[in-house]
Amino acid sequence: PAPSLPSESLTPVVNRSRLTELVREVDPNEQLDEEVEEALLAIADDFIESSVNAACRLAKHRGARTLDVRDLHMYLERSWHMWIPGFGTEELRP
Amino acid sequence: GTQIRSCKDEVFLLQQPLAQRLKQICSKHDMEEPSKEFSALLSHAVQERLKTVIEKLSVIAEHRIDIIKN
Repeated sequence: PAPSLPSESLTPVVNRSRLTELVREVDPNEQLDEEVEEALLAIADDFIESSVNAACRLAKHRGARTLDVRDLHMYLERSWHMWIPGFGTEELRP
Repeated sequence: GTQIRSCKDEVFLLQQPLAQRLKQICSKHDMEEPSKEFSALLSHAVQERLKTVIEKLSVIAEHRIDIIKN
């Protein structure tokens, strides 16, 4: 079994190249400061933390022990007005 | 049958660190680890969130430069 890592040594969920890519998508001439990069990483972490916590609460509320895509969908839609298609819906998907 | 054309879904977040985070949060709630689909959706949501922030920052930065110029 893999050794469990201490919580402090968490590797970032996004790396620099993916962030830069995303910034280029928004504006090809934009440059990213290192501090801004760190701030964006912190935002991503906070977002993950709150989304998964909320999804866990919702899953528990429906008496489940496993997280379902629906739990996350509901939180995203209600708290962020975010609808990401293609997940857990009855619609046609590849 | 119906032919579906699609492109491969690219996952924005790094899988290993994301799995680690999910495991940590889920164990806190005494929940089982979620499916691959769940982390893919989360990844898309994070990408969307960051994109919105970057878009806002980009507008703000442009205004800031304009002030310096004039």
